[in-house]
Amino acid sequence: MEFEWTAEQDAFRHEIRDFLHANLPGDWERFAEHGPASPALTAFAREFCVKLADAGILFPHWPREMGGDGLGPWEQQILAEEMWIAGEPRGGQYMNVNWIGPTLQKYGTEEQKARYLEPITKGQSLWCQGFSEPDAGSDLAALRTRATLADGNYVINGQKIWTSYAGLADTCFLLTRTSDDRKRGITIILVPMDTPGITVRQIPSLIGEGDIHEVFFDDVTVPESARFGDEGQAWEIIAYSLRNERLGIPRFVLARAALDRAVQMLKAQGEFTREAVRIEAARCAALCEAAGTVNYAVVQRRVDGLAVGAESSSARYATVMAERDVCAFVVEFLPEALAGASPYLKMHHQRGIVAGVAAGSAEIQLNIIASDVLELPREPR
Amino acid sequence: MQLALNQDQTQVLDFIDSLARPYASVPLHDHSLALESAELDAALVANGFLDVMAVEELGPVTAALVVEKLARLPFAIEAAASALVRPLVDPELPRPLCLVEEGRLTRPVRFLRPGATVVVVGPTGVRSFTASENLIAPAQEDTLYAYPVAFLTGLPEALETHDVDAAEVARAWRVAIAAEAAGLLSAALASTVTYVSERKQFGRPLATFQGMRHRLAEDQVLTNTAYWLALRAAGTGDAGDAALALMHAQEAAKRVCYDYHQFLGGMGMTLEHPLHLWTYRLKLLTAELGGRGAQGLAAAEALWG
Repeated sequence: MEFEWTAEQDAFRHEIRDFLHANLPGDWERFAEHGPASPALTAFAREFCVKLADAGILFPHWPREMGGDGLGPWEQQILAEEMWIAGEPRGGQYMNVNWIGPTLQKYGTEEQKARYLEPITKGQSLWCQGFSEPDAGSDLAALRTRATLADGNYVINGQKIWTSYAGLADTCFLLTRTSDDRKRGITIILVPMDTPGITVRQIPSLIGEGDIHEVFFDDVTVPESARFGDEGQAWEIIAYSLRNERLGIPRFVLARAALDRAVQMLKAQGEFTREAVRIEAARCAALCEAAGTVNYAVVQRRVDGLAVGAESSSARYATVMAERDVCAFVVEFLPEALAGASPYLKMHHQRGIVAGVAAGSAEIQLNIIASDVLELPREPR
Repeated sequence: MQLALNQDQTQVLDFIDSLARPYASVPLHDHSLALESAELDAALVANGFLDVMAVEELGPVTAALVVEKLARLPFAIEAAASALVRPLVDPELPRPLCLVEEGRLTRPVRFLRPGATVVVVGPTGVRSFTASENLIAPAQEDTLYAYPVAFLTGLPEALETHDVDAAEVARAWRVAIAAEAAGLLSAALASTVTYVSERKQFGRPLATFQGMRHRLAEDQVLTNTAYWLALRAAGTGDAGDAALALMHAQEAAKRVCYDYHQFLGGMGMTLEHPLHLWTYRLKLLTAELGGRGAQGLAAAEALWG
């Protein structure tokens, strides 16, 4: 076992860090306070991702046949860490390179790959994820948005909710119901967001402007060729994608950076001499480092080509614990940070509080750990 | 970054597994508060498992893996201090090794007996002596801790001084206890999982109730993170990592020791079930080196000054 980065990995990290330093504007921290899905950050990301693409660090972890450099999971991790710790200047485009692109490559038709992959590789497209519905959140398989095939077209009716990026996205990775079979009746359709019949309404939120929406589909008509995978294949495909997304956001690095920032502010105030503050800060640091190390243990499995299963749920829950306590630490000891004294800490808070909700709730992770790691007998249904 | 076990480590752990197999469960009808085995101890020494740290291709991570593995047994073995701390002080010191903090000499001392080496660590340095009968007072006979413990009645007039940095010894000590706690956490969890998966109430296994499942799942996360932080601290040799690892393990221990006895209900109050052999070792380890708060202060000092 080796717990240090190699010289090559360190060099890769510095390459990204240097690029960010040279290319992010001077007032970036205050700017990043706009949510990752805000119009301001989305517009910024459309230019910034082009620069990343030109510099070859938008998707260096993709295989060579997809135009990447074929770098491994560690480099993907380092890239994600440096972007997230900087406040995610890629905005919603992080999803493209983390899982939408690879999922398109794996399951898409030639037509879909030709249409969607190039804009992603140029840093010019934004996707949203049409998953949750008013009555289908954690119980995703209860979703009801219906797609009916008639005369070579799918006609879509229904509603999605808490959809990130929907306001400005070009395309929706949409889960629809094509039959009543609970999981095997769900089908993915790639829907251009300018298709007539789509209405997007923003929901004011705690996590920054433009982040949460409801999306209505009224007789939205797309050709059959917009279907992604087979009818009923959605569950298999999203299981593949979510597994990738669950590691996609290395939240623990931002939690740790926020903690360090908070400590520096407390030191400047003379407050970091109090034992209670120091002990609580250390406890939070332990949770951040714990989350980091168990996430790395999952990355190692990917490096070794082993299946990644429930251990990623355990790693994610460790991240949730770190986020929860770092957010609480800042509020308890630096309440002014969220009221204007630190854009960076407010930005962290708004991203941190989502940790246990986005991409599968923390309680669902606990269910998975109970059943698949501890192998407890299942609950009666 | 390379977090998979290498071939040497896998071999060492496999060998320990086969060596320790006769000791993997509690002897029938044995309701002791603490278990020890001189034969197992001798076998571990004879096969060099407590000296792996000095072997170049094995090193401190393998030593921590050995300590973690051995702690999973119901038998208490003095492995942590010998495997991870002794090499820094003097590899030839006779075992068992008892680490005590200068200024905290009234605490119960694990494995203290005549002939044991007591290492006193503190601001004035690192000193040791061989414990003799006249310096030892027995603990209460039915003490609950699942370690053999005794008290020091004082220090001898002459102690051997070791030319080693006390802070470095404290760092290794934290790693050692974190690794031991990780193994205890793992075994206590496994023991509890087995019980609640079999025990039925309301016509179904206790483990099918979500009130228990979610807490056990959280306990799994604490156990897994304690394991990885201990190994990382062993690997990096960093003072901050060591303090964080032990703080986290002590936090986890406090939480799970309550949970597991609670989940076992009446059975968890008896000596018929072996759970206490892990949890009452863990409980004593929460007091080690000043407890969670002291590790927190040490970590804060190392991380932020």
